[in-house]
Amino acid sequence: MGSFRLGAMTLRSLFKKPETLLYPTQTKAPYAGQKGHVVNEVSGCILCGMCQRVCPCHCITVDKAARTWGIQPFMCIQCGSCVASCPTSCLSMDPAPTAIATEKHAIELAVPEQEKQVSSSI
Amino acid sequence: MGKASVIPFGPQHPVLPEPLHLDLVVQDETVVDVLPQIGFVHRGLEKLVETRDYNQFIYVAERICGICAMGHSLGYAETVESLMGVEVPSRAEYLRVIWHELSRIHSHLLWLGLAADAFGFESMFMHCWRLRERILDIFEKTTGGRVILSVVRVGGVNRDIEDSELKVICGVLDGIKAEYGEIMSTLLTDMSVKNRTVGVGALTTEQAIDLSMVGPFARASAVSYDVRSFGRGAYGHLADFQPITDAGGDCYARVKVRCLEVLQSIEIIQELAGKIPAGDIAVKVKGNPDPGARAANVLEQPRGECYYFAQGNGTKHLERMRMRTPTSQNLAGMLEALKGCDLADVNMIILTIDPCISCTER
Amino acid sequence: MGFSTDFKSLDAASVHADAVRRKAEGWRFVQILAVNNEDSADVIYSYMKDGLLDNAVVERLPRGAHLESITDAYLEAFVFENEMHDLFGITFDGLAIDFLGNFYRVSTEVPMTIISPEKLAEQEKQRKLAEKKAKAAAAKAAKASEAAGKAPAEGAPTGASAPSIDAEMEAKLAAMPPEKAARVRAAMEAKAKKATADGEVG
Repeated sequence: MGSFRLGAMTLRSLFKKPETLLYPTQTKAPYAGQKGHVVNEVSGCILCGMCQRVCPCHCITVDKAARTWGIQPFMCIQCGSCVASCPTSCLSMDPAPTAIATEKHAIELAVPEQEKQVSSSI
Repeated sequence: MGKASVIPFGPQHPVLPEPLHLDLVVQDETVVDVLPQIGFVHRGLEKLVETRDYNQFIYVAERICGICAMGHSLGYAETVESLMGVEVPSRAEYLRVIWHELSRIHSHLLWLGLAADAFGFESMFMHCWRLRERILDIFEKTTGGRVILSVVRVGGVNRDIEDSELKVICGVLDGIKAEYGEIMSTLLTDMSVKNRTVGVGALTTEQAIDLSMVGPFARASAVSYDVRSFGRGAYGHLADFQPITDAGGDCYARVKVRCLEVLQSIEIIQELAGKIPAGDIAVKVKGNPDPGARAANVLEQPRGECYYFAQGNGTKHLERMRMRTPTSQNLAGMLEALKGCDLADVNMIILTIDPCISCTER
Repeated sequence: MGFSTDFKSLDAASVHADAVRRKAEGWRFVQILAVNNEDSADVIYSYMKDGLLDNAVVERLPRGAHLESITDAYLEAFVFENEMHDLFGITFDGLAIDFLGNFYRVSTEVPMTIISPEKLAEQEKQRKLAEKKAKAAAAKAAKASEAAGKAPAEGAPTGASAPSIDAEMEAKLAAMPPEKAARVRAAMEAKAKKATADGEVG
């Protein structure tokens, strides 16, 4: 008897809209809060190094002397610790996942000077 | 009786995606003795606690096992909180339990699909995983991840669920409940399923207590033990909680207990979603655990009771972190269940125990 | 049914007797674990009954110690006893299912007893911090006694506080990586020179 019930359920799904997407012609838009990849808006970065300290996989490097902020996206686990700890909120989590690549690469961003702008405005 | 011979089972076997090796001593078609071997995926995660501080280690704890990710992060956080005497806000406790019960549904549906696939019931497998996908979608929407949620932190949770969103989740669960009811009644009444499971690998209540079994495996032998019935965290706010037990003790009873636990979890989530208090979702945790301070904790994971132990040493790193997972506790019970069974039933028995080898070895 | 935990100590010789007693009393076996110390290990046996999670701690077992196996009372303990043999080097007599060190495939012998470089660095840092604290406290005490003993002369307070700063700075420098320490030293020298130059001008 049981199999007939499941058969009815399977038959019903013939007339329903499919539960799956025909990837890659259709893609699912990521949800707003989804964990995709970490983005740094360098104009707001003060190179405090907080993100480097809290990162559980040591994938962020902050070099104060060279004024660079670097991340290894293939080591990052998208936990969001850095975003939560950032004092200036210049770090954010972009919902789009990291693009597929044939080899691992690192991202290094040059951070422009901030202090002068601040002091001139005061 | 024929001569005894040894047949190896695993470490790669179609019935289990994880590496478990068994040496089955068989006489004719009957298994007379079993020797288990694990240790193929030992990663030394407990040692990693020396290189990650207590806030960072939660992400390591989560990665012990993909299915129990939420349970491990929750158990770890609870243990460190009791080590440091942190009081978690009430809303955070509710949210943790809601996510944890969702992950129990997802784990049981995954297992049900795999079990159906092992019977050769492939359309059932598709339906179970179709329903499981809706749970994963809830996770994706509320936490940002499908399996590794990274939502619990020491002192609370990282994200809040809006009350309107909770209503949507309850609606989705209603939809799942209706369809799941059909699947469950099919599975539990189907003749071919009963032929494979009834009376196979039976353990009595005395054996289950004697071997200190935990989780659905023990509850299927009428051992009424469930950590949730201690009523800690938000479980204490449930109107009523009774562990689901069955007196059968065989594979069929284990399938039945897990099937009913999905419905129980749906009820728990819907009840808590209606009661959830407003307020903060996390408290700030300051300082380090005291040197020599010890804390022990248990948590009911989808596969059973999981034990956690933490010891501090005055720094931000813990001295020792230990997880004893349900499967390592159930290994002795599994050996007992396998003794005297037919060779063809070995995969059914192993599957209904739902072993998680990567949890066991860490 | 409430839940509570308890830690109590247990003698290494009575591990087996304790297990047999608990088995008769209806305790459920929960687990065994080991905690590595500098040159010993603590072993913790956990049992549960009526919501009480009881942890019996066998403290300070020397390296390579023997314990009596409890697998005759609780067969399920074989997983943990084999694990501790492989990871901590503690051997068990009378193990029901003995893997003879082949339970886990490990690349190094008794990996959990090795103190990792990260941990050593952490310990060193802690020790330095404690030393620094002790020195600072001593300097403070010296300063206080000096201030109490002497009349408030002009040069006295600076003379007393200068060495304490140096001692503190030295402790700090010792904890720093060498290149950073060198930078800080250079900066301090420059500062000292500037201070003396200012003094000459003044």
